[in-house]
Amino acid sequence: MLHPAVQVRVHFYSFFRDLAGQAEVSETVAPGACLEDLLQQIFSRLPNLAPLRKSALTAVGVHYQNGDYILKEGDEVSLFPPVQGG
Amino acid sequence: MRRELIISGEKINEQSLTQARAMSPGMGAAVCFVGMVRGTENGSPIAGLEYEAFKPMAEHQFHLIFDQAQSRWPLESVRLVHRLGRVPVGEASLWMEVVAPRREQAFAACQFVVSEMKRLVPIWKKPFTLA
Repeated sequence: MLHPAVQVRVHFYSFFRDLAGQAEVSETVAPGACLEDLLQQIFSRLPNLAPLRKSALTAVGVHYQNGDYILKEGDEVSLFPPVQGG
Repeated sequence: MRRELIISGEKINEQSLTQARAMSPGMGAAVCFVGMVRGTENGSPIAGLEYEAFKPMAEHQFHLIFDQAQSRWPLESVRLVHRLGRVPVGEASLWMEVVAPRREQAFAACQFVVSEMKRLVPIWKKPFTLA
């Protein structure tokens, strides 16, 4: 049985948005793909962000997630630099 | 535990927040912390800091931090206001207050909330100067 690809939306915040040149982007990943797979896809498509990969924080919805999180259809992923509140 | 959280572009009104303080007779400590915008950033003069938040996640993360504070100390209330947008030098970007029975608890909880905020809450700042 052929599984459909998974579509997610990726939001960029702070100077990640400037480096990405956009606030958000739609991405398609293979079924069973994890957050790390998506990040590889994004960093190869948006090379300006690639040097910041180690410091990048990731969330799905309002929850922090690690690279092994399995993406689901319609997930809202956020990618941003270390936080600086206060 | 009573909790109030405001993340907005409104100027922080410390007087009004202080006047709204409510403490029951068993509470002996109210610790208040105000974070102000400094006039320099990395040694260079600035006019202020511009704050941006991923607001739904920031609110969620703040409440998770409040949950932890509540489980560690017998707090009666936590109130926190974080300003967004342009905040000029000398104005407050953060105001928070913790009410607890004893000062050790209130100081510790206040420090905990601010430290965890700086680690987890998706808010960012960038300096601006006046042309």
